[in-house]
Amino acid sequence: MSGPPPAAVKVDPTSARLVRDFKHTSPFVGCRFDPTGQFVYAGAQDNAVVRFQLDSGKKTILNGHKSWIRAFAFALKEKLVFSGDQAGKLIIWPIEGDAPSPIATIASHKGWVRALATSPDGKTLASCGNDNLVKLWAVPEGKLLHELPGHANHVYNVAFHPEGKFLVSADLKGVVKVWDLAKGETVREMDAKILYKYDQGFGADIGGVRSMAFSPDGAHLACAGITEVTNAFAGIGKPLIVLFDWVSGKQKLLLRPKVNFQGTAWGVVMHPAGYILGVGGGNGGVLWAWKPGEALAYHALTLPNNARDLDLHTDGRWLAIPFFDNAVRIYDIGPK
Amino acid sequence: MTNRATYACNSPAHDLSRRSFLAGTAGALGSLSFGNFLHGAAAGKLEKDQKRVLVIWLSGGVSQLETWDPKPGTNTGGPFQTIETSVPGVHICELLPHTAKQMHRMALVRGINTIEDDHGKGAVIMHTGRRQEPGMTYPHLGSVCAKMLGSDRNPLPGYIHVTPRGNGGVNAADSAFLGPRYASISLDNGQAPANITRPTELNESSDAERNALRLRASERFLKKRRTADTEAYTHSYDQAAQLMRQKDLFDVSKEPAKYADMYGKHDFGRHCLMARRLLEGGATFVKVTHSNYDTHHENFDFHIEQLGEFDQPFAALLEDLHQRGLLSSTLVVVMSEFGRTPNINRNYGRDHWSRAWSVALAGCGIKGGAVSGKTNANGTAVTDRMVHGGHLFHTYLKAVGLDPKKNFYIDQRPIPMADPKASVISEVLA
Amino acid sequence: MPQRWFLLSVSLFVCAASAEAVAPPAVRSSAGAKAGGTEPLHRTIDRLVSAPKDFAQFDAGPAPDGEFLRRAYLDLTGTIPTATVARAFLKDASPTKRQFLIDGLLASPEHSRHLANVFDVMLMERRADRLVPRAAWHSYLRDAFAANKPWDELAREILASNGADPKTRPAAKFFLERGEPHLLTRDIGRLFLGMNLQCCQCHDHPRIEDYRQEHYYGIFAFIGRTTVLNAKGTGVISEKADGETTFQSVFDPAKVTKTSLPRVPGGKGLADTVVPKDKLYVVAPTAGAAGVPTYSRRARLAPEVTRADYEPFRRNIANRLWAHMLGRGLVHPLDMDYPGNQPSHAELLDALSADIAARKFDMRGFMREIGLSQTYARSSALPAGVKETDAPLYATALLKPLTPEQFGFALMQATGLTDSIRQSQGKTATEQSLYTALSPNLAPFIRAFGSPAGTPQGFDATVDQALFLANGPTLRSWLTPRAGNLTDRLLKLAGNDAVAEELYLSILTRLPDAEERKEVADFLTSRTKDRSAALQDLAWALLTSTEFRFNH
Repeated sequence: MSGPPPAAVKVDPTSARLVRDFKHTSPFVGCRFDPTGQFVYAGAQDNAVVRFQLDSGKKTILNGHKSWIRAFAFALKEKLVFSGDQAGKLIIWPIEGDAPSPIATIASHKGWVRALATSPDGKTLASCGNDNLVKLWAVPEGKLLHELPGHANHVYNVAFHPEGKFLVSADLKGVVKVWDLAKGETVREMDAKILYKYDQGFGADIGGVRSMAFSPDGAHLACAGITEVTNAFAGIGKPLIVLFDWVSGKQKLLLRPKVNFQGTAWGVVMHPAGYILGVGGGNGGVLWAWKPGEALAYHALTLPNNARDLDLHTDGRWLAIPFFDNAVRIYDIGPK
Repeated sequence: MTNRATYACNSPAHDLSRRSFLAGTAGALGSLSFGNFLHGAAAGKLEKDQKRVLVIWLSGGVSQLETWDPKPGTNTGGPFQTIETSVPGVHICELLPHTAKQMHRMALVRGINTIEDDHGKGAVIMHTGRRQEPGMTYPHLGSVCAKMLGSDRNPLPGYIHVTPRGNGGVNAADSAFLGPRYASISLDNGQAPANITRPTELNESSDAERNALRLRASERFLKKRRTADTEAYTHSYDQAAQLMRQKDLFDVSKEPAKYADMYGKHDFGRHCLMARRLLEGGATFVKVTHSNYDTHHENFDFHIEQLGEFDQPFAALLEDLHQRGLLSSTLVVVMSEFGRTPNINRNYGRDHWSRAWSVALAGCGIKGGAVSGKTNANGTAVTDRMVHGGHLFHTYLKAVGLDPKKNFYIDQRPIPMADPKASVISEVLA
Repeated sequence: MPQRWFLLSVSLFVCAASAEAVAPPAVRSSAGAKAGGTEPLHRTIDRLVSAPKDFAQFDAGPAPDGEFLRRAYLDLTGTIPTATVARAFLKDASPTKRQFLIDGLLASPEHSRHLANVFDVMLMERRADRLVPRAAWHSYLRDAFAANKPWDELAREILASNGADPKTRPAAKFFLERGEPHLLTRDIGRLFLGMNLQCCQCHDHPRIEDYRQEHYYGIFAFIGRTTVLNAKGTGVISEKADGETTFQSVFDPAKVTKTSLPRVPGGKGLADTVVPKDKLYVVAPTAGAAGVPTYSRRARLAPEVTRADYEPFRRNIANRLWAHMLGRGLVHPLDMDYPGNQPSHAELLDALSADIAARKFDMRGFMREIGLSQTYARSSALPAGVKETDAPLYATALLKPLTPEQFGFALMQATGLTDSIRQSQGKTATEQSLYTALSPNLAPFIRAFGSPAGTPQGFDATVDQALFLANGPTLRSWLTPRAGNLTDRLLKLAGNDAVAEELYLSILTRLPDAEERKEVADFLTSRTKDRSAALQDLAWALLTSTEFRFNH
């Protein structure tokens, strides 16, 4: 998530319904609403950033990446979009314009850029990737400010705490580090190792924090992924969202579907109204909703295909989900 | 050369002597027509010119698109880029930066179509060069090499399989009609063969004494009853004793620290280093299994991890073999049971795919930098020089100086060493 | 009566509690003489084996008593005798003691058990258990041999059972575990008819003009309509009422397609019984039900193959039982019986083949005749000055490597593991209880010495086998002293000469000669400080000697 926290509107996740179905020619892997509220930006397996105008459905292809893009962040004031790809490139684009072209292309990480986030004050961009590093960049010029080494594995996600003093990064093995931005060092670690396993049979790691989000009030952090994996290479495991209490740094709840589902929780958002929403992909796709304080999802909506990410519009009503079947779909949880 | 072979050579009329020939209850073993029955001089020469084979088995089916035949920027290409190699014009996947620097010592076969998407049956094709057929089992490449390239004087098992996990013993089925002597022995997680260590309560001198007693007892018996089988039995203890003396070969901790760094300290690195120790120590055929590549889910994350483990040790192994002067006499093959689907499934996985995939070769008999075969733009079909497991098997044998058109004979039945319907892929041979 | 005492001792030491074994050997009316002739089979054997004119000059002569005793035990019961039995046999002065021994062993429950093992390995070739548990199959075979079920009857049951009836299901193991009709065609030819027609699947045999593609597809036609239906996880044979067997030669440029009726090689094609279209099935095949056709081609296989007048069937079993006793088939290899591969003794094989058919496939009687022959009783030691390559076949006994089962059981007996288990079982010990206790120990031997699944048991000596015997825990633990075992007995003996005798009798079934006695004494004198370890080293040396590894 990026941009200002969505307004607290009256929503009902059980009313989630499809309101937009944006089509492309290649599967999508990630997407974000822009903070101006006009667009959804999505990264596809054809290396394109695809911008859909929410009202008109107009599709604009942003060419510049040579690999898949799952990392997005925005600078609201400067109206910039940042996209990170799996060749280590970070591209800065204007949000608006008919045919945006890269403002700057930065070799940001060795290996994949896994996630991007902008600080609440809009001055800093954080990135993380397969070089086990977290990096901080100056907005808007994209100058490297700091490298934060410390993870021993691929860093899968970054997020700024809403108060702006701390940055959180999470890796393949479920190590969640809290960085004090003033000091530039790790001040705490949280344990999401439940989202990781070394599969002895296959001799490989499986898991990682696939999505991460703070609650707008900063009291909770949610980390999504897969757990209880019995077969890494077939993806046989269960989706899980680990909810942390920010003050104590301890796990508060383990959020699971009510009805068994096989696959990964690929996206999580924390709604200002207190709901937690997640999507999963594996054996099909599902959108889940949890009420505050409850461990089992109280609502599940079967999706048309494997869902691969999730974002919440600033209006608090719309959810954007990128799918394997070449679509980004928008679901509305607001009043009908 | 074994006593058994000596005995055979000394027999008139080539019959290993009728009694010995008859003594075995299995005709299958008694009458194999060629192999190790060499005269002393020939055996000596064989050792000097010893050819060896190293197979790296990427278990589960490595993706050709993430290794030897990348298709970036296409609908099947996935997120990875290509990189240049030490051979101009030959590009491979960015996940293999160290290997790319060894490409001038390697050849690629990119036009493989084995038409078999089942793990077990694909493994049969790749190990034996033939499709599985009811009622007939063919020996593994390792068993053929153990028999045809090995010397019976060599105490090391002819076909050694270094594996992360195995059954720890002999896999008798591997050698089929060639007999258990040429079956593979698994070294689980790179541990020495079972029972190689003398029991603690038995000291060396007692062991020597009891073996002297055994030999004297056998000699008394053999004065009037010597056969090829009895010779082989006696000889097996000599081999055991020699192997026990060489057990350090199985201990990579004896290597200088710099090699541990060069190969990497994880299991596959250790296993590659052990392979080099064994090859240098005279092993004929070593297979190292790296597990696992069966990436129906998260193909890309898993290939980063698995090829990240593979790349450096493999490149180090080629470099090290070259520096020791062994590469020119060691055929190196990187293979799997099949490749992976160009199509990327909904779980970021690639599934089983045998229609268009690749194998990499290096070393003995191989033309460095050669590339055979081509696939179409997004890798879904072979467009040039399609080959199957039989062609590969011919090529391996030819590369180490064997004639793949020759036959084994079980009883009176000729069994071609390699599938007679296939032939050598000559463009990858030096 | 010494013989009597000795037989009791066989019974007692082979099996303490079997009434069957204690009973005196039955004198078989049919066993002594060739049916319709005057010459007993064992005489015919000796006459024909010794027929070569220079045979006498190479004749190794009768095996010493110990060698004969060990051979008969290994061939007929799959293990070696105890030291007590060996002592009694060596002492026994009766001229008929060898005949009593053969009869006693053939009547023992150990014999049925051993033949069950031998036929299991022969017919199943160590295939993994998938559909029929080996225990049930093994019991079935053991009961058959205990009852001396004639081979044609046993073969008919094995070839006819479809696995549906629980009572006859074990017999279906041969079929069910193979399942695939081509594999079955090959193995029916190999194991029941002595013909390996494998090459003829695709063309006439390139080197054996008598093996033709039509032979292969004649057998195939009996079973080409069958599949194994594994709907309920058990597996039964399902058969269709239609489906022709057609074939082409890969060498035929015209690609002419031929059709075959069910037909055993050399036999006549069996025309199908015509069944009205609406009555093709008793049970029609479905996804869940095995097909049972009104007219079954498969049902005709067993009677056709096992006809007493069908020469390949009787030659095959005669040749295989001969090979079991003598270490080599008269036709060699056992599954290459065709005119171009003449038997070493053609007339003898004819006689054996006629005899076993005439005695209605009584295998026990047939083996008894072989066991009574001078040929069987001949020494394995070459006479001085004779080159083995010059000697006619069977002028000296052939060495037979112990099978994995024989090797394992012989080591258990020699080390006294068997004795100590028997002792601990006390009066409750039976052949069954001993087998139950001991047979799990075979596993490492089968792993180390057994041939790969789907291939006949062969012999090869490999380094891992030697390491297993030299350093492995199995043999080592059996030599560790425990009540009643060999090391325990040796430790209690006063005097090195007594030790030497007990060692040699227990392990090699013979007394030591002077040189061997001295060797034992010298060794023990040099190792007085650790006598137990020294005794184990001595025993190990004999157990791993060539003399022990082979049946000679």
